[in-house]
Amino acid sequence: MAHDTERLGDLLDSLLPVLVERLHETGLGEIEIERDGATLRVRAEDLDAPAVAASAPAVSRAGSSATSAPAPTAADDRRHPVRASAVGFVKLAPDIHVGGKVAKGSLVATVDVLGVAVEVRADHGGIVAKLRCASGDPVEYGQELFLLESVGEGKL
Amino acid sequence: MIKRVLIANRGEIALRILRACRQLGIEAVVAYSEADRESRAVLVADEAICIGPADAKRSYLSAPAVISAALATGCDAIHPGYGFLSENASFAEAAAAHGLTFIGPSAEVLERFESKAEVRALLAKHGLPTIPGSDGVVADEAAAAKAATKIGYPVILKASAGGGGRGMRVIQNADDLAQLFSLCTQEAQAAFGDGSLYLEKYLVDTHHVEVQIAVDKAGTALHFGERDCSVQRRHQKLVEESPSTALTPKVREEFLARAAKAIGAAGYRNLGTLEFLVGPGGKPYFIEINCRIQVEHPVTEMVTGVDLVALQIRLAAGELMPMTQAEVERRGHAIEFRLTAEDPVHEFRPQAGEITTFRSPSGPWVRFDSHLYAGYEVPPYYDSLLAKLIVWGNTREEAIARSRAALREVEIGGVETTRDFFLGLLETPSFLNGTATTGMLDAIGTADILAAAPKARA
Repeated sequence: MAHDTERLGDLLDSLLPVLVERLHETGLGEIEIERDGATLRVRAEDLDAPAVAASAPAVSRAGSSATSAPAPTAADDRRHPVRASAVGFVKLAPDIHVGGKVAKGSLVATVDVLGVAVEVRADHGGIVAKLRCASGDPVEYGQELFLLESVGEGKL
Repeated sequence: MIKRVLIANRGEIALRILRACRQLGIEAVVAYSEADRESRAVLVADEAICIGPADAKRSYLSAPAVISAALATGCDAIHPGYGFLSENASFAEAAAAHGLTFIGPSAEVLERFESKAEVRALLAKHGLPTIPGSDGVVADEAAAAKAATKIGYPVILKASAGGGGRGMRVIQNADDLAQLFSLCTQEAQAAFGDGSLYLEKYLVDTHHVEVQIAVDKAGTALHFGERDCSVQRRHQKLVEESPSTALTPKVREEFLARAAKAIGAAGYRNLGTLEFLVGPGGKPYFIEINCRIQVEHPVTEMVTGVDLVALQIRLAAGELMPMTQAEVERRGHAIEFRLTAEDPVHEFRPQAGEITTFRSPSGPWVRFDSHLYAGYEVPPYYDSLLAKLIVWGNTREEAIARSRAALREVEIGGVETTRDFFLGLLETPSFLNGTATTGMLDAIGTADILAAAPKARA
């Protein structure tokens, strides 16, 4: 078994970054590769969150609404989720749309908590890559509102 | 009508409320902090919503976060469980202002029953005996001596401006009073800026006995028997049982009926608990009220067969009392053990960490309310309750014998627990003969109780 685990580790190290990159380029939902009797499957549950399953189906868990942060991968480094700072109803700032530019520290949304607007500020600068909510939606604390993609150091 | 409840609590009680909702056909949403994402209630719930970070002040204790979560998930009611916001009148008021049913007494009722001194006066007016004392502040030593003689020694001299156990002195006899009165006055003046004192009868060797009551919106008040919670460590309840060994059958029935009548007449509504001290004479004195569902409610459920959480929800929804007093039958004896993540060997030091093994006991008349599972990480932020073992028997002896067997089946690995402490308690004479008073554990000491526990098989 130790041998298998080791082989699996090597497989993950060598292939995973390539697969994740490929997944993003092609926009495919899932890529599966078989090597030396082991199967490596990379599935894009959403643009930024490749769920990795090696030799076994991905572990799924019932329960909380989908906010659990997936383990970061190499391709995730440029992507920064912006999360709700409170529970309530969200209102996105006017310039928050796919392709919109966001400066680090800028006000990107508010969450209405019983009439009080709680600010959401961007921890990173970047371009809005994907919206995860619309103004007026109920959101929970920590829920991903949208995804920012950084476009290289010092550009924003 | 309540259609959808936000459960604003955690741990075993979140699970308990979820079960009651499902049984009643009511939808439920579990509100949780970031530290409780993997908690059993969240995993089991059909829907859950994160309301804030681990810090309870920003999650379970945040009225805006809880109410906002209820609105965001389309709930029409909030169940606060126990602790946290459960007896908070302004929270109940804010919930109502947003059109949400608070499952508990209304804000007005919570306010009326907020002040301990006022509640004692109110319930005394409605016929509940309270601890005899001087009529307010005693003017001088002579007045104190007169009051003490009337009440009977020992008495306790209390600073009027004191509280929380501070500014109190036990006076055994008239000589003590003569010696200590001016000293107490000076101490109170120095500590609280007010030297005025009052007297109360000092009750030694008391049992803590409480009455479970429920009142509907029309004022129909029922009692569901009493619970004896005398096994305490530093005012924390460890074991609860029903019925109490401190009451004779004659005293009991009169006392319970009087408690239900008084609380209904005083304007209380929904579920509540009246706490009493019972001295060696077997006479109960009212001390305070708890305006919520309590940790130890299953003890009452086991002897009455009444689902108290379901009843609480129905009463909050505006239903009338679905039963009469005569229909509340009490049968046999039930005991609850609070299994906590505390190390009894080291001053009950709180524990946190991963539960490595978990096996719950079972068998006839054994109930185990717990949110644990193997792999669950006990967070360090909240109280240390891991599980409640509740065991029923036809008699107290049968319940105790069954408890021993059930406790031995409990397996919780990864953290130290109070299990072995309870196994020792079940061999301790003052518990077995039903004479345990609130001071027993502190008098015997943990080491002796642990030493009494039967050794586990090697």
